[in-house]
Amino acid sequence: MELLEQIQAIVKDAAEALAVANDAAAVEAVRAKTIGRNGSFTALGPLMGKVPPEDKPKMGRAFNEAKQELAKLLEEAKDRVAASEGADPAKMLDVTLPGRKAPAGRKHPLTQTMEECCNIFRRMGFVATSGPEIEKVFNNFDALNAPADHPSRSAQDTFYFEDGRLLRSHTSPVQVRTMLSKKPPVRIVAPGRCFRRDTPDATHGVHFHQIEGLYIDTNVSMADLKSTLLAFASEFFGPDIKVRMRPSFFPFTEPSVECDFTCVMCGGKGCPVCKNSGWIECAGAGMVNPNVLRNVGYDPETCQGFAFGMGIDRLTMIKHRIEDLRLFSENDVRFLEQF
Amino acid sequence: MKISLNWLSDYVDVNTDPVELAAILTRAGIEVEEINSSATVPAGVMTAKILSRDPHPNSDHLSICKVDPGTGEPVQIVCGAPNCDAGNIVPLATLGTVFKDPEGGKDFVIKPSKLRGVESFGMMCSARELGLSNDHDGLMIFPADTALGQPVDKMYPGETIFSLELTQNRPDWLSHWGIARDVNALCDGILHFPDITLPEPNVTKNFDNLVKVEASDLCPKYTARVIKGVKVGPSPEWLKNRLESVGIRSIDNIVDITNYVMLELGVPLHVFDRALLDGGIVVRRAAAGESITALDGKKYDLKPDMLVIADEKKPVAIAGVMGGEFSGVRAETTDVVLEAAFFDKSSIRFTSAALNLRSDASHRYERGVDPEMVEKASARAAKLILELAGGELVSPLVSVAANYAKPQEFRCRYQKIRSLLGMEISDLELASIFSKLGIEVNPLRDGEALVLPPSYRADVKEEADLAEEAARIYGLDKIPEIPVKAIQAQKFSEDTFAPTDRIRTALVSCGLFECVCGSMIGEKEALQDTRFAAEDLLKPVNPISSELAIMRPSLLAGMLDVVRRNISRRNLNLALFEIGRVFSANKEKFPEERDELMIAMTGIRHPERFSAELKETYDFYDLKGCLEGMLEILGIVNYSVKAAQDARFCNGECAELFFGKQSVGLFGRASDKLTKGMRLQTPLYMAVLSMNAVLNAARKPEEYQKLSPFPGTTRDVAFLAPLEMENAKVLDFIRRAGVKNLVDVQLFDIFMDDSMAGKKSMAYSLTFRSPEKTLTDEEVNQAHEKLRVKLERGLGVELR
Repeated sequence: MELLEQIQAIVKDAAEALAVANDAAAVEAVRAKTIGRNGSFTALGPLMGKVPPEDKPKMGRAFNEAKQELAKLLEEAKDRVAASEGADPAKMLDVTLPGRKAPAGRKHPLTQTMEECCNIFRRMGFVATSGPEIEKVFNNFDALNAPADHPSRSAQDTFYFEDGRLLRSHTSPVQVRTMLSKKPPVRIVAPGRCFRRDTPDATHGVHFHQIEGLYIDTNVSMADLKSTLLAFASEFFGPDIKVRMRPSFFPFTEPSVECDFTCVMCGGKGCPVCKNSGWIECAGAGMVNPNVLRNVGYDPETCQGFAFGMGIDRLTMIKHRIEDLRLFSENDVRFLEQF
Repeated sequence: MKISLNWLSDYVDVNTDPVELAAILTRAGIEVEEINSSATVPAGVMTAKILSRDPHPNSDHLSICKVDPGTGEPVQIVCGAPNCDAGNIVPLATLGTVFKDPEGGKDFVIKPSKLRGVESFGMMCSARELGLSNDHDGLMIFPADTALGQPVDKMYPGETIFSLELTQNRPDWLSHWGIARDVNALCDGILHFPDITLPEPNVTKNFDNLVKVEASDLCPKYTARVIKGVKVGPSPEWLKNRLESVGIRSIDNIVDITNYVMLELGVPLHVFDRALLDGGIVVRRAAAGESITALDGKKYDLKPDMLVIADEKKPVAIAGVMGGEFSGVRAETTDVVLEAAFFDKSSIRFTSAALNLRSDASHRYERGVDPEMVEKASARAAKLILELAGGELVSPLVSVAANYAKPQEFRCRYQKIRSLLGMEISDLELASIFSKLGIEVNPLRDGEALVLPPSYRADVKEEADLAEEAARIYGLDKIPEIPVKAIQAQKFSEDTFAPTDRIRTALVSCGLFECVCGSMIGEKEALQDTRFAAEDLLKPVNPISSELAIMRPSLLAGMLDVVRRNISRRNLNLALFEIGRVFSANKEKFPEERDELMIAMTGIRHPERFSAELKETYDFYDLKGCLEGMLEILGIVNYSVKAAQDARFCNGECAELFFGKQSVGLFGRASDKLTKGMRLQTPLYMAVLSMNAVLNAARKPEEYQKLSPFPGTTRDVAFLAPLEMENAKVLDFIRRAGVKNLVDVQLFDIFMDDSMAGKKSMAYSLTFRSPEKTLTDEEVNQAHEKLRVKLERGLGVELR
């Protein structure tokens, strides 16, 4: 038989045999019979040397093409057989069995709120700062323009220590510390723990968490305050949240306002949570009282600015519809896992 | 405070719907918390006369009436009431009148209808149908002289009461007149001050000694009037109704008048029975040991810094707080002394707080009463007493006044106010708002004015205060929303929260859940941490309870509590951490406040899996792995761990973490003493680390390590070592051996068996790699052999 015909016959036979091969052994048999050490195609190799020189290019090409074709057929048959063998139930994994969980802890919801708040304000150019929880009366009250006989100063409302210092009743002392140590401009938020002598219940505890904001520069206005809180609210609660300001009173700001955000429960339509007003009170704020500026050595003629305070616990409760503050300090893992 | 709209309309025209008025006031800072309305008669009900009554052909009890609602054009009404007789004037609900269902159900609208085949064009009403009384026996009948066609809702307007939530800086709002002033400013009305014209007093004796003020610092103004021959009795209905509508109980005409004028003008008043006073009135500080029985029947021990109103022998009232039980008006009182005064607010606040005695008077005085209103209030009350209780004014106004702080004139630059508010509002508009609020505005030069606040606005002292008034009246909703400018006012390196955030993130990536516990704990719990003694504990002087009496010295007690609570709730697999502030009273332990990091782990490593994996519980190395993971994420490489011993941990399962030579804290298995009674099913592992150390630890250099493109070659080395040989010691020895191209050493086997005679086998895999070339077998073998020799000689191990 001519060499060329032999090559073609081997490829043809192999293709036919592989087409009906239905297990790995059958495929392997074909491989051994063709390109195996004693295979028929392997045996043709030495014969190629004896081909007349003028036929060499043509025969060489045919031989190589056939070799590649055989390899391809074997590969395809192998894949096909392997795919059908996967169906063996003894080798099948139950993919619905639980995976081995990679470590995935969670930050406490209060911390998450605190960090989220910080990050939102950081994007607006605020820097998050902290201060001690044990404070001087000056930093917690005097500097903040609290009247000498203000009830919040009483031992009824505020925790005191023997040396006359106290547990800060808000994070505002951080404002005072910042302003005492730095000239304007100042743009900080101060998240942290504060203390008030409340009897613990579903909405009160002896401690709570606040985030305080302060921005002092030459020309900061109520419009900046409103816009900053609006930007915060729309990032924290969602794009459709609006901000409303109502007149209020705090010794450390003038004008003072209470800031309401659109109720997240009802979207402003009115529900029991917002007492049908469509708004929920979220922040106390205002323009820093000139007396506060004077108390820290700033000149109200050359600088002005706003301050605001929000309850981290309250923001978290609103965001996640949590009704009982005590869940935060119980630290039940079934609770912690949800955030 | 409660405000009656009927009462309010005595002083200002209130033409606005109550709901809208409430919204206007709330926007201006006078927060209306609640609106209570007793108005019930719907619009469309008219007075009408029944002209004729005929029986209904198809009914025994219905009548067909012709009724004139004042138009002269009688309408036909079918009526079932027994008293729909011709000639009666009755309320007629005309077509289109809407009756609201008080329960919130469907409205009921009067429409033309047919009753048993006879047309009817309206409904005549009983008093109950109009919500005016419970009388439903028949139609409501008006007096025969009632004009026809009058809207009945105007005849019975009912009463609307606003409950106000007021801020403490605005005592001028604590009266109807005060609210009327702001309504006037907000709604552009006209103010009418109540009538205070008095008859000439019939003065027959000298009253110069009636009042003596010995403490003018606490009482800058005291006035008194004497009225003789009053008749104490019940108040007229209108007065009773007014007081009751705002929640004040009627007592008698004299007391009611003082309350009325207080609610009207904001000045608390008091009336003494002249017969019960020994001589004139002395305003003085209480004497040591003095006491008084107040109107509430309780006896109060007075302190020398409290202000009292006394006669020549005894205190007769706690000034500005409450009158005395035995000097006030009685049924048999005939001659009275009417007090109107201005007291120092701090003094009243102090007295009221010290005695724990609060009244409507002290509420007003401690916030600040308008000193200029004192005389007017006195005149107003005197006028009402003469009108309602008779008697004769026998004294002039006896007034003792000293100096007191009055609002000061100051400069107002309109541009500064605009700059504070960030909104455009013209000079003219600003000036007009201030004038409406009673602030005198005297133009100074372009864009500037001198302003003088009225006596009742002691809170207005500078431009910021004016800005608040402008915002309040002009409308905070008009403040524009502008783009937020992000400026770099401060450097991010000043951000003290970010570093702690990074540590939390690292711990969370290691699979831990964060807890947040309270800062206050009980003493016994605090002392569970054996690092501290009772004298190290920091305590507030006014704790809320003994369970919350100590500022936590460490996070241990809180964390144990969390573990205990979770276990009791069958949450058995816990991997927790807390980063929190801890406190010390002993500077040698640590200075006052610092942050601590605590980790706790107990339970099964993979509770979500099954079979054998459910037996794999957390052990020492899970905790250590957590710490190592955290340190790796934080880039802290220069650390070491040494075996340690501590009462909080089990012996043999406790280690100390070091950064260089600095101790960072301890970790290991919690001692049995700490976990006693917790019903743990698996051991508890915990770590207590100093946050300062972690925050300030040296991080590895920022420059990256070049990657060698050449392949690495591994060799193993195994040896028998004494049982106490620590892995760290072996690694340290190998590192110091200075073997060239040795880039990694990994322990891969450690075991003991009986054949080893009290030793253990340790096996390490060594990786050799050069940054410059592919190492030959020979080079690697040489290095390997050199290390083997060194190990045998230097570390004294037995090569295998």
